[in-house]
Amino acid sequence: MELLVSILALGSTYALLAAGIVIIYKASRVINFAHGELAIVGAYVFHSAGFLTGTTLTALSLFTAIVVAATASALFGVVIYFALMRRLLGRPTFVAAMVTIGLAIILKAAIVVIWNSRSVGIPIGRQALYNFAGGGRISWIDVISVLTCAAAFAALAIFFQLTRLGRQFRGAAENPLLAAQRQVNINLILAIAWSVAVFSAALAGVLFGSRSMLSPQSTIIGLSGLTAALVGGLDSLRGAAIGGLLVAAATYLTARLISPTLAETVPFLILLIVMSWRPWGLFGTVEEINRV
Amino acid sequence: MYNVRVIGTAFVVLAAACAATVGARAQDYKIGYITDLSGPLAGSYTPTWQGFELYIKALNGRGGVNGRKVNVTIDDDGLRADRAVAAAKKQVESNEVLGIFGLSLSSTQAPVIAEMQKVGVPVASTFSAILDALPPAKPDYFSTGVTFEVAGEAIGTLQKRIVPSGKVVGITFDSVGGRAANNHNKLAVEKEGYTWDEVLFPVRTADFTPFAQTAAAMKPAMIVGHYGAEQNIGVIAALRGAGYAGPYIIAAYGASEDTARQAAAQAGSGENIYMVSRYAVPTDNAPGMSDLAAAAKKYGIANPTSMHVTGWVLGMFAEQALKNCGAECTREGLDKAMQSVKLDTKGLTGGPIEMSADNHYGPTYWRLYHWETDKFVGVGDWLKKTGLEFPAK
Repeated sequence: MELLVSILALGSTYALLAAGIVIIYKASRVINFAHGELAIVGAYVFHSAGFLTGTTLTALSLFTAIVVAATASALFGVVIYFALMRRLLGRPTFVAAMVTIGLAIILKAAIVVIWNSRSVGIPIGRQALYNFAGGGRISWIDVISVLTCAAAFAALAIFFQLTRLGRQFRGAAENPLLAAQRQVNINLILAIAWSVAVFSAALAGVLFGSRSMLSPQSTIIGLSGLTAALVGGLDSLRGAAIGGLLVAAATYLTARLISPTLAETVPFLILLIVMSWRPWGLFGTVEEINRV
Repeated sequence: MYNVRVIGTAFVVLAAACAATVGARAQDYKIGYITDLSGPLAGSYTPTWQGFELYIKALNGRGGVNGRKVNVTIDDDGLRADRAVAAAKKQVESNEVLGIFGLSLSSTQAPVIAEMQKVGVPVASTFSAILDALPPAKPDYFSTGVTFEVAGEAIGTLQKRIVPSGKVVGITFDSVGGRAANNHNKLAVEKEGYTWDEVLFPVRTADFTPFAQTAAAMKPAMIVGHYGAEQNIGVIAALRGAGYAGPYIIAAYGASEDTARQAAAQAGSGENIYMVSRYAVPTDNAPGMSDLAAAAKKYGIANPTSMHVTGWVLGMFAEQALKNCGAECTREGLDKAMQSVKLDTKGLTGGPIEMSADNHYGPTYWRLYHWETDKFVGVGDWLKKTGLEFPAK
């Protein structure tokens, strides 16, 4: 039971990361290689805002941290689009992908320079919600992670299916030229895509920092998010959710049942198998995949 | 006439520049420092570098050594051996350093030392140290830091002060140093009648939950973590989440009281956290700590930790070696000077640092600390280790 809860909690974090990667890919056909760095920088911003005035998190400082991190990450997504990605519209998508690699390097350097590479934790929800007889426990952060992920995916589903902007987004993703001819503001759509994606990355970063800790090394979770997105299908939000859970399950089950040293390797083995069998991912659309 | 004036002015400027360069060479001791400032263990190695830099700033502030200032060139290896070797070659060839200090994980050290031995440049490391410094010491390599094998044995001995019997579980990441520490820890605790089990995880791990659950399932009486600061924070929180509430020992290879504070906050409790360290902690009130605190205040380092102490002690070693080397110091001279260092660390270690021709590590002193509310408190006296009790693999 404890193992299942852990898989669900970590899988939720990976699913949120994968969702951001999928949103950007759906909107612009760009794979964002800076997603892990965006997640951890967002979490560091959250930590800095939360501990700005004291050494413990109070209700007020927690609220401040949420507002600051949410606003900063959403705005940063817009800035990335207008400062970097907008100039690359119409260029080969690999150029934009290379730019995201550069962005990843710069963001990681920012962690070193601004936060001094210091390892920090985000002490939220570590208290036990339920203790198992054998010694394990379910903590609040496990439940918060799962519920936050579920709420985020529900909000995204409502946005894409029921709102006018969401329908325009889907239209622009399917055929940007036609959408532009029908007066859809492509720049607005893409800016929103980056904004939502960076926001979801920061959310995933905060949840991850609450369950584990933050350091420059934590940016490696971006690789797990990307693996989840590729396994699930780069243009499928449903695939992102399933992919996140699969990667988390593969990591945990390998560590517990096979060998801890192979735990980080097996998800990539699954990726290789899925890519060989279904290059478009488990839930991806065959004809739309144009890999970098 | 105009051209002659221009050429003449240029000549004078050029001559002045050359004179200035020569002057700088004659005045400053040039040394290098290489460590991980951006890689997986940057959180551990950065404060060590800051401690070293702080000592050199304070040293230069009081006039330097033998009337000469010390000029340090810093390079980041990102915990990669190829970058460490490239940085070392650059420092030797372009920066003309007398010796290289610092270095990062054990895996990056051997190739750097091999390259430096070819050109006769002495190297002095903090943590991590490798066995080349122990008798019979190999040339051009010294360490004032932590050799994993020695630390593993020291921890194995000091564990008796916490729990007298039962199973000890060693957790480490899958590196040469981590495995060495685990192995010597195992040999030491088995000699004392404990049983041993271990969990290894990949070096580039960010989520420690599955490994902590595996360790907790082993039902240990005590757990030791052989890795850096960030891993300790994540592992302690994950262990508590997995239901293990027993003693956890932080092997201080890059960890400090800041690590314990973060881990306690993240785990929801600071109970049963211990640390074994070669260096004193700020709350030990050692005389040397006052010097460090004063320098930290002067040069803007907030809340120095025992990780800053490790770098500071290496700075003391560098000063002593340069002093012994004299005003006309050469690389060969610095190597010989390091062999004769007898350094009183003013309480920052449990005893003096003493080098000799065949022992470039010297006796070391280790102390068990217990985390109490918001500080480490020593448990018993320092343990002296004069070498390895068990042969290294």
